Amino acid sequence: MENQMFEILRYGIYGGSISLILIGLYAALTKRSLIKIVIGLSIVDGGIHLLLIAIGYVKNGTAPIFSPGFENAVDRMVDPVPQALVLTAIVIGFAVTAVALSLVIRLYRHHHTLEIDEIKNLKW
Amino acid sequence: MKKLIVILLLAVTGYFLVDSFMDLGRTGPVVETGVKDFYLDKTVSELKVANTITSIVVNFRGFDTLGEVTVLFLAATALGGILYKRRHHVGERSVLFPSSPIVRAGSKLLFPAIVLLGVYVFIHGHLSPGGGFQGGTIIATGFLLMLLAYDNFSVSHNVLSFIESFAGIFFVLFGFAGMWAGGTFLENFLPVGTMNNLFSGGIIPIVYILVGFKVAAELTGLIYTVLHEKES
Amino acid sequence: MVGSPVLLIAIPLLAAFMIPLLGMIWKELVRIIPGLVLAFMMISSASMLMYVTNNGTIIQTLAGWEAPWGINLVFSPLTAFLATLMTFMGFIVWLYSYRFKRNVDFEPAKKYFIFLMMLVAGAVGIVITGDIFNQFVFIEITGISAYALTAFYTGRNSAEASFKYLLMGALSSSALLIAIAIIYSQLGTLNMADIASKIHLMPAGYKVTALIFFMMGIGIEAEIFPLNGWAPDAYTEAPGPIGAAFAGIVVKAGVYAMVRMVFTLFDVSGAMDILLTIGLITLIVAETAAIRQEKLKRMLAYSSIGQMGLVFVAFGIGTLEGVYAALFLMLNHAIIKPLLFLSGSQLVFNSKEKLIKEVNGLGKYMPFTAVLFALGSFAIVGLPPFAGFWSKLSVLTAAANEGMLLIIALILIVSVIEIVYYFRVVNRIYFFDKAEDLIPQKPRVNAVIAMSVLGAIILIIGFNPDVVSTVLHNASADLMDTPQYIKNVLSAGQSLTN
Repeated sequence: MENQMFEILRYGIYGGSISLILIGLYAALTKRSLIKIVIGLSIVDGGIHLLLIAIGYVKNGTAPIFSPGFENAVDRMVDPVPQALVLTAIVIGFAVTAVALSLVIRLYRHHHTLEIDEIKNLKW
Repeated sequence: MKKLIVILLLAVTGYFLVDSFMDLGRTGPVVETGVKDFYLDKTVSELKVANTITSIVVNFRGFDTLGEVTVLFLAATALGGILYKRRHHVGERSVLFPSSPIVRAGSKLLFPAIVLLGVYVFIHGHLSPGGGFQGGTIIATGFLLMLLAYDNFSVSHNVLSFIESFAGIFFVLFGFAGMWAGGTFLENFLPVGTMNNLFSGGIIPIVYILVGFKVAAELTGLIYTVLHEKES
Repeated sequence: MVGSPVLLIAIPLLAAFMIPLLGMIWKELVRIIPGLVLAFMMISSASMLMYVTNNGTIIQTLAGWEAPWGINLVFSPLTAFLATLMTFMGFIVWLYSYRFKRNVDFEPAKKYFIFLMMLVAGAVGIVITGDIFNQFVFIEITGISAYALTAFYTGRNSAEASFKYLLMGALSSSALLIAIAIIYSQLGTLNMADIASKIHLMPAGYKVTALIFFMMGIGIEAEIFPLNGWAPDAYTEAPGPIGAAFAGIVVKAGVYAMVRMVFTLFDVSGAMDILLTIGLITLIVAETAAIRQEKLKRMLAYSSIGQMGLVFVAFGIGTLEGVYAALFLMLNHAIIKPLLFLSGSQLVFNSKEKLIKEVNGLGKYMPFTAVLFALGSFAIVGLPPFAGFWSKLSVLTAAANEGMLLIIALILIVSVIEIVYYFRVVNRIYFFDKAEDLIPQKPRVNAVIAMSVLGAIILIIGFNPDVVSTVLHNASADLMDTPQYIKNVLSAGQSLTN
């Protein structure tokens, strides 16, 4: 029973994060609105962060924090490295999104539109 | 037509992703002993830090964190540069709407509590879940609340810039101090103390507090810059 | 030896944090400090290059933890050579833009110099780091600086170009993160040397997937074929010196990351053929596109992409000679293409559209700039007494020794195309009549110094190619010798290999 739950959880998490990545990619590649493209990029980022967290999981895992009462739980602790990486990746993703949105604001200021088709240089 | 190509591309990407990750839980990685066991071990025995993630972010992979706060600093600078206009009317807001007295009173009540929570989170980053990035973000949400509730609420750009610069400078200087005292950049050169005490872990809590200040100042600055963007 | 590898990263970061404060004291400091920092980086990495040539690789651990656990910096003959080249080009670009940006407001100027410095620091970081996730962080530092610099002029269509660049950059950095996730999930480590020592344990399918995601992640900076859509726009819309910085610094870092991946990290058979194919496609597509361009900087951008294709072809040959030729090409391209960008942007300085036909007859009015542009053109197509000749010759010999006749033929055909479009521009400069309304731009003193230094280097390497051969030989041997790399990095701490 427990094993079955774990299997379902595994498929749910990996499948879910991979679908998030694909949904985000689809949005980033096909949508014609600048804001939607940026949203797509953020969804891709979110999917990858979930994926990274998921690869560190161990069965019956607990947070890798040695609070009183958890000193001997080393075997059950999840992998802390992906969590640290995700912390870094989130901040970087945030920075890129902020720059992207500021560019969108400037494009809107020039062209008074967010549609990619009406901005000459963005067609390729 | 374009959508078809994209869907095909996504199918290929998706296949390879599923192929790479789906077996992971069943068969496990090919190398069983990774770097994580070392980290879990040394965090307790040498660094005396309860939160392993903090010890990785600030000490083992501290150089990444230095790069990360730089990325944030560059993003804040880039935002100012990209949205720069020669005649900038400081003090004018693009979002001008009256908020109800309830929202205003409530924000005033919540603001100190939010800032306090943020400070708590980054001071206890080495003991409990949380840390500089998380705490800094919480503080910035407090400022966001105030900026939304009061249309005349303003923060001094110079003060933010000072906090940002000094936190960054001290981060690098701590790195150099480690080089001078211990031999390598960012080395933990202060006594580590006893585990689960507030004053433990050497330079780790100090660096994380600096990161907290820096993140709070930078995020507030970002929100402030975008909020004062006037449509032209 | 002056300084240590970590100072090449830490000093620019410190300076970047300090510049906003120093700018409040004296406004001129925001221009001077980045120059001093870049000069320090240049001198320091050059002296360390000499040390490395005599005494072997410097491995610097950070935060007190040995190689597989902490992050480490690797200063080997190859990375030292590239770091020296990049910091030198960074200094030249700073020198060129020192007075050039004086007519700009204080705030944008401050940001321009911060970003220029961080662009160089990030590129150096990409090259000297020994950890894949750290490399990702440096790629992002370089990326954000590059987006911001591309969008520097508010008057032009720079925001579009920058958004395009950012979109591709963000997607490819996602690919890079996925590759890191695959590697970490299988091998449990992020250190390059540690990965290289364990990669043979990884199932072949995962390896190929990871390699392809890596290539997608880094290819954007290396301008390989399907991922270089950003380059022509970004080069055109960015300020002139930044085009030079992209060609001389960012692209070189991307190429390094790519070949380090293929040569050291992955033992995938056939990876060389992938490099060769990508290189050939990039070369042909870009050069045929270059000949159709009407804007000067766009032409130079496509030519730059084509040259990177040639570099990948040379790497893809896979022999020591091929690597030597590729590094020689990178060195020459890093010096000649910035010269073309710098002198070219002087030539079209006062024209609105920056078209090629607007350089007509400027040879009489801007003699010095025109001579340097002509020198650069002759050098990059590979005319005998100049630097480009020797690198192209070494590519051809390397290919000939492997019996790759088709490749030789293709390179020669492409060279003819190059000659056509470069000579067309030089012809216009000297033998056409100047348009009435165009005012020739008189280059400032610092720009003249910067450009003539580059011109002098082209002549020196051209007449005496042996001055660089020792460094290049060491660097190419370093790239080929994976076991030595692993040993250097992991010797201090014990390896985690079971």
